[in-house]
Amino acid sequence: MERMQLAPGVYLTTLPADKFKRCRITIHLRFPALRASATDTAVLALVLERGYAACPDMTRLSRRLAALYGAELGVDLAVGGVDRVLTADICGIKDEYALAGENLTEAYAGIVLGVLFDPHLVDGVFDPEAVRIEKETLARRLQAEYNNKRLYCVRQARRRFYGHGPAAIEVGGYLKDLPAVTPATLKAEYDRILQSARIDVTVQGADAARIGELLLQKLGGVPRAPQPYAPPLAMPRQAPAHYREAIPGLTQAKLCMLFTTGTPEPLPDIHLLRLAMCVYGGGPTSRLFRNVREKQSLCYYCAASAQSATGSMLVDSGVEPGGEERAEQAILRELRALQDTPPTPDELEDARRALLSGMDAASDSLAAQESWYYGQILRGEEPIDPAEAQARTRAVTAQAVQAELQRYTLSVSYIVTAGEGNDNG
Amino acid sequence: MDNTALQNKAAAAVGCRRVTLPSGLRVLCRPMPGYSTAYALYGTAFGSVHRDFTLDGTPVHLPAGTAHFLEHKMFESEQGDAFDLYARTGASANAFTSYERTCYLFACTDGVEQNLDILLGVVGRPYFTKKTIAKEQGIIGQEIKMYDDNPDWRLLTGLFQCLYAQHPIRDDIAGTVESIATLTPELLYACATAFYRPANMVLAVAGNVTEEQVLAACRRAGLDRPAPAHTVEYAFAPETGPVPQKELTFTMPLNKPCFALGYRVAPVARGDAKQEMLYDMLPELVCGGLTRLYRRLYDEALVNPEFSGEAVGADGCCAIAFTGESEAPREVAALLRAEIDRLKREGVDRELFGLVKNEVYGDLIADLESADDTAEDLLSAELKGYTLEEQIAALAALAPEDADAALRAAFDEEQSAYVEIQPQQGGQA
Repeated sequence: MERMQLAPGVYLTTLPADKFKRCRITIHLRFPALRASATDTAVLALVLERGYAACPDMTRLSRRLAALYGAELGVDLAVGGVDRVLTADICGIKDEYALAGENLTEAYAGIVLGVLFDPHLVDGVFDPEAVRIEKETLARRLQAEYNNKRLYCVRQARRRFYGHGPAAIEVGGYLKDLPAVTPATLKAEYDRILQSARIDVTVQGADAARIGELLLQKLGGVPRAPQPYAPPLAMPRQAPAHYREAIPGLTQAKLCMLFTTGTPEPLPDIHLLRLAMCVYGGGPTSRLFRNVREKQSLCYYCAASAQSATGSMLVDSGVEPGGEERAEQAILRELRALQDTPPTPDELEDARRALLSGMDAASDSLAAQESWYYGQILRGEEPIDPAEAQARTRAVTAQAVQAELQRYTLSVSYIVTAGEGNDNG
Repeated sequence: MDNTALQNKAAAAVGCRRVTLPSGLRVLCRPMPGYSTAYALYGTAFGSVHRDFTLDGTPVHLPAGTAHFLEHKMFESEQGDAFDLYARTGASANAFTSYERTCYLFACTDGVEQNLDILLGVVGRPYFTKKTIAKEQGIIGQEIKMYDDNPDWRLLTGLFQCLYAQHPIRDDIAGTVESIATLTPELLYACATAFYRPANMVLAVAGNVTEEQVLAACRRAGLDRPAPAHTVEYAFAPETGPVPQKELTFTMPLNKPCFALGYRVAPVARGDAKQEMLYDMLPELVCGGLTRLYRRLYDEALVNPEFSGEAVGADGCCAIAFTGESEAPREVAALLRAEIDRLKREGVDRELFGLVKNEVYGDLIADLESADDTAEDLLSAELKGYTLEEQIAALAALAPEDADAALRAAFDEEQSAYVEIQPQQGGQA
């Protein structure tokens, strides 16, 4: 891995890709999240994916990608700590597999850079027709959240957990804000992002120097003031709040529990945090899987994950209606057991082996490799390779896992279940 | 596209070794230099639709959900749970059941021989007691309920119930709580004997592994010796004529209607890679992301971005289904029918055909750089009766006229059905 700074707040990472048949270019723009423009940001990602100045039409762009042997272009908006990350990536077969000797990688670079830095504008703002269409698309997506009850339950729990704090800003935006989104507000948000973002480009299997050069050309006329990453936070501890939402006709109940550390400091070592989650609820050897699912048959899925930047841990589960409280108690019992007594040597080593194996596999796909390094950059860490991460994971002790899990207390429990009548804490 | 160039490049890229062992097991191995992961997939041509068969002349009838239930139970042995054995090696393991097959898999970066021993030792050697069966019924009951809340899954099941009167594809892969309650150890052992015979199975391994490692593991598992012979026969009565039900409407707790428009089409004959590829391409040619119709539906907010079409089939049945969310589902269905009529009259757009073919080629090449996708593609092709190289060759040989003919044969209005899920009252506004 090679990483270099091209300009203030602009970095280029090159990763080896000799064994792959495709190449990939990924551009991340990380910028502060704002409640006021959250919906503009969400619409912007959709509008950018439709096309760019040199290829403004969505169908033409799709056909262009198909002609490049089905190259895949993605524009995605995600959460990075408490910030937002707008990512554009393109992945396609290497030049050597082109049937007519085309220079595919140059074409890939042109498209992915064009999508982010040369948007299709009409009279200085985004195309009104594209904005109208994508506002409707976003509206449908936001409404569709309810159709996926597992996702809906998790999001409802997060809303109760984060309240009105910075981590509560919805990455998908707000339905009620959509009418105020215009081509001009979108352009203002685009300019804010370009100005404030820290930019990370990752090149795998293509000419990195050429892409770096093209990127700097694109940024030439842009007034830049890259912002630092938002600091980590944690929701204060509170007495557990229980919410219950009844949905007539639902067959399987969903349970989502959110825990807090109460304070973001000390920021946990990522290797320790991963191992702790793996032992508690991260796979078929975890306590939640073995005991709550397999031994007690209380649920079909039951998994734990943690986010260091917000000092939170989430457990979500699909349970038999009427068995929600029993499942919740079983999940808490397993946590208390690990808080009271460190994991056994066998279960610690089972979890550790699973993690070590996963780290080896990080170099076996372009996307996983890119995600491995950018994940560390997102957390503000000095990137290390999988071998070094494995060494650090091997050093984690059972007592450290116990101490890490002792930091979490339950804040919010949200149940979506069959029947009628709601109880909102 | 130059077909010969495409074939040569693709065949060189696949580079897979194939062996059929004396036991009848077909072994496919594709070493991938430079990769850390080895991915193994061990599959049997036994899926949810294989419910009535004869085993050595004795008829056997299975309740819905048996193949899936057996998949869950195959992880257990007298010594304990296979997950525990994999945990000792760091491998991640899983299994899945579809309409036409059941597969067991692991991915590992270390100890591939040991993991192959676990895989080959556990699968095909089932161990059940009434107690362990009862425990699994609880977990699978939860899985069934999870799928009951999934509108996409309910649409597909509803569609098959409209398109087929008898075929077991009408039933959910996992069955029902009631159907799996009738399972007995004897029935499960009969299935294992009938369908987990080496001759009915394929082992596909790709990534950080050598052919010798795979064959040595097969030898250790006794798969290099002839296996006991059993005669298993099953057949599916062809269903022709009008579909049993033209429309189905029901409600779920949703806030947007969902719909499916489906066409019952001729099942793909074993080994017919050309027909398989054509069926995969037809939905893309009708309403894929490159078409004018998709653009209209998207721009007029008539469908969600995930709206799409796909061919879904198994032994003795096949359907091409278009599914999505829409505030105006009947309008979308009418537009789809009109576009299909137009294409039947005018033929497919030649440029579009070339682009879709390009995309399919790109997808196949992309799969070859991932150990899991490679193993999956190799096994899938093998169980369907062709090789990955033959699949690529079939793609290379496809001409727009083939698509025209397939389109005219596939989309018969009399063989179609429409399913709609309306939001249930009392749901979210």
